[in-house]
Amino acid sequence: MARPTLFLLHALGLSARSWDGVIDAIGDGLDVVALDLPGYGDNAASPLLTVRETAEWVAARIREREPDEWLIAGHSMGGKIATIVTAWAERAEHGLIPPTGLVLVDASTPGPEPMAEERRALMEQWWASGTISAEDAAAYIHANTAGPIPGAVRETAIADVQRSSRVAWLEWLRRGSLEDWSDEVGVLRTPTAIVVGAEDPDLGAVNQERLNLPHVPNAVVHEVDGAGHDSLLQYPGEVARFVTGLAARVEGTAALPPAFARLIASDRVSARTRRVMMRRLDGPGDAPRVFSPAQRALLTVLVARVLPQRGTDLDIAGRIDAEFAAGHGDGWRFAELPPDAEAWRQGLDTLAEQVPDFAALTGAAQEAVLDRVWDGGIGSDADGRLTGSQMRLWLKDVQAEAVRMWLSHPAAQAWIRYDGFADGGDGPRKQGFSTTHAGEWEPWQRDWRTGKELQA
Amino acid sequence: MNLTGMRHHAETDEVDAVVIGTGAGGAPILARLAQAGLSVVALEAGPNWEPTDHTPDEIDAASIYWTSERLSGGTDPEAFGGNNSGIGVGGSTLHWGAFCPRPDERDLRLASDQGAGVDWPITHAELIPYIEEVERFIQVSGPADYPWDPARRYPLPPVARNAPADLMAAGCDALGIRTTDSPAAIVSRDVQQPHFGVRAGAINSGATHQGDRVASKASMDVTYLPLAVAHGAEIRAGAMVHGLERDATGRITAVVYRKDGVDHRQRTRNVFLCGGGVESARLLLNLDLANSSGQVGRNYMAHPAAQVWGRFDRPTRMWRGWPSSLISEDFVRPKEKDFAGGYLIQSLGVLPVTLATSMARSGIRGERLMDLLEHYDSFAGIGVNGECLPAESNRLTLVDEVDEVGLKRARIDFSFSDNERALDAHSVTTMKAIWEAAGAKDVFVLNRTAHAEGTCRMGDDRDSAVVDPNGRSYDVDNLYICDNSVFPSSLIANPALTIMALALRTADRFLGR
Repeated sequence: MARPTLFLLHALGLSARSWDGVIDAIGDGLDVVALDLPGYGDNAASPLLTVRETAEWVAARIREREPDEWLIAGHSMGGKIATIVTAWAERAEHGLIPPTGLVLVDASTPGPEPMAEERRALMEQWWASGTISAEDAAAYIHANTAGPIPGAVRETAIADVQRSSRVAWLEWLRRGSLEDWSDEVGVLRTPTAIVVGAEDPDLGAVNQERLNLPHVPNAVVHEVDGAGHDSLLQYPGEVARFVTGLAARVEGTAALPPAFARLIASDRVSARTRRVMMRRLDGPGDAPRVFSPAQRALLTVLVARVLPQRGTDLDIAGRIDAEFAAGHGDGWRFAELPPDAEAWRQGLDTLAEQVPDFAALTGAAQEAVLDRVWDGGIGSDADGRLTGSQMRLWLKDVQAEAVRMWLSHPAAQAWIRYDGFADGGDGPRKQGFSTTHAGEWEPWQRDWRTGKELQA
Repeated sequence: MNLTGMRHHAETDEVDAVVIGTGAGGAPILARLAQAGLSVVALEAGPNWEPTDHTPDEIDAASIYWTSERLSGGTDPEAFGGNNSGIGVGGSTLHWGAFCPRPDERDLRLASDQGAGVDWPITHAELIPYIEEVERFIQVSGPADYPWDPARRYPLPPVARNAPADLMAAGCDALGIRTTDSPAAIVSRDVQQPHFGVRAGAINSGATHQGDRVASKASMDVTYLPLAVAHGAEIRAGAMVHGLERDATGRITAVVYRKDGVDHRQRTRNVFLCGGGVESARLLLNLDLANSSGQVGRNYMAHPAAQVWGRFDRPTRMWRGWPSSLISEDFVRPKEKDFAGGYLIQSLGVLPVTLATSMARSGIRGERLMDLLEHYDSFAGIGVNGECLPAESNRLTLVDEVDEVGLKRARIDFSFSDNERALDAHSVTTMKAIWEAAGAKDVFVLNRTAHAEGTCRMGDDRDSAVVDPNGRSYDVDNLYICDNSVFPSSLIANPALTIMALALRTADRFLGR
């Protein structure tokens, strides 16, 4: 198994070298790729400018490496880019598969970044002559560090600022940092660590919680004591500790087999199809909707019996609950049953009443109960309960809905090795399938359960 | 479909005809009347799509299914929604299987031939020219030599066979059962479709079933409806009809529909009701209209459509290829049988959610379900479409629950008679034998029914039929009905081709041709 790849995106005026201390401290567990963003470092001459162009450029760097498992970390300006790229990747857009982790270091925000106007004006003024002086560059680094940093680190940072592209610098100040990407980013599901210098004036913990956390509600916020905006220059070991901590926590947690995720991200799949498939990676959440907690708990046990998942561990009962809450019907119901959600509540209540210890029974005993339900042998004539014949019909619905919900999930589709959704993207000619006979396959097809090449 | 440049009629204009529904019944009528120079407006309950809007995702494809709830009863309750009921400009043809056999001559005179059911008041000889016209226009693909009808010719060569077709052919060969490439309302190569443009040749995807993104499939939105619009017809999408206004003589004067939450009223001289076997009857029952015979809603017919599945040694990946690419008509009249009528056999590839939910409904659950699904990519299926005799007790009625526009919902009670039970059992025996001969393992049977027919039956006698042999209501003389609801008997051929042919004939009769 290859090591997960960690992509590192630097701040305004810095370069890949700003991560050197962090990389040293990370060690061998990750395959680290620190990038010089367009306009900076060795990439200062790049014609790319805007946030979108920069994010697309980063996406291309990720795509070309085809990592099976990857994480991304961004510092300040790089944080906004990392957030956008993560949002795209969660939706399998731009040919990306979802990352397993996101680290935001003193990160700029998806919405407009808070910055004092006089500071913005000063930072523009530094470039009035066409270049930035060593003094102004030093002032920039000094303002972003709350304490001393090693001389070599400081010299490198100042040199990076001076070799930045003026146009790129001004673009970020005047437009990029102010662009509102909050709708496009939305709410991310990727496990996230927010690292913030305790002394960061603009993007400190308060603003991180106000402006970044709503987009990454599951994030853990780590404050680095004594650090300013450039915590990674001051305390690279601390930053590395949070990065490796997240990486260890998320290793092996990718929601989809990588090859299968790449298929969804490929141009064989339409945007509509990709969108709905990837949206299903969101869990249903714990809040009860149409079912009471007791009903949902029993449904969880029941579903585990009628559909003992293989290759996945999804909250099918929660997904059914959410589906009913959304009011989606399939166009019909058994005439003998009340409307769907009510039938399900009554069915669960009837099962709970007639077989109070159902959850505690062995699998074989639960199976025997279901056989009796199927034969019409369990039911009640009381109000709010289902009769034996109704319970039989309801069990049909439960079985069908459970497997429908399961197979709608891309991970289950990968497990049954299904790729019929990849019959063509949004181009004028859909690729379709050119082989149709048994034992034939096409070069792009894999055993999606394992990701391996197909064997004759 | 592209509706830009379409002619628009004012609601206050009295148009020559309003067509309710844009599926296999409504679309050809709309085109025929427009071509004759009549002012026509089609009202479609669902939205208008471009072919490229569709999705191969089985769940999300629900956008082309009629999902307003129906109640299903009887001993063999039929599934609706994705099983047989479409919505949107193009109606159920958006999701039809495009399996396109012709109606058999013997099935049209079932009572005379078999002593059961009823004869159609239309002869096969009269219908066939319309069938052939439809096949030419929608560009059906099929074999050069059709074993059961040597004179038959199809406009295009057949679409590719897939693994289930190969396996079924092998099994049938071993048993001496004749098979051939199925007639497909799918173009096997790029063609020009008048007033639409290029329909791309089949891309060999099973998802074609649920909305064809390349327009290889002859849904109405890429065939008859562009023809209609080019000749001045107007199509209003999102228009759910819930009322018909009449004058003192009982003639319809206007159609009332709801669009975007607002009721509209289109004045018209004639109405063609083409909502399908459930919605046409449901509207008439809600309005208490055209039912002096008491037959509206009765004689509901659903084809026995059992499937037999098996697992094979090599991966079939049956989502590739057109799902129904092999046919046998050897059982239209089986030699040894104890039932009236017969059945058609076809090979099957079915997408996973649809197949797995059918398995689960049939009682397969737990570890056995997972054991089978673990080999989903090595499955292949065979299915049938068999005769269903009309029975008054199989019936669509209304319940007190109302839908989104205030119409009472339909309850459909359907139970197999001894004839359907015997036919169903015979077909399962046949299919199991084919799979055994083909080397299938883990064989299992899915009992199901397909299509929705007969609720506004056509006949010679106004006491036992809702419409006359021209498709006109016996009670309301400017009301015509054309969809599968007018079928007097079920036919074993899948209904869409016959509906289209009937639609052209209904329009011609209306035009006095």
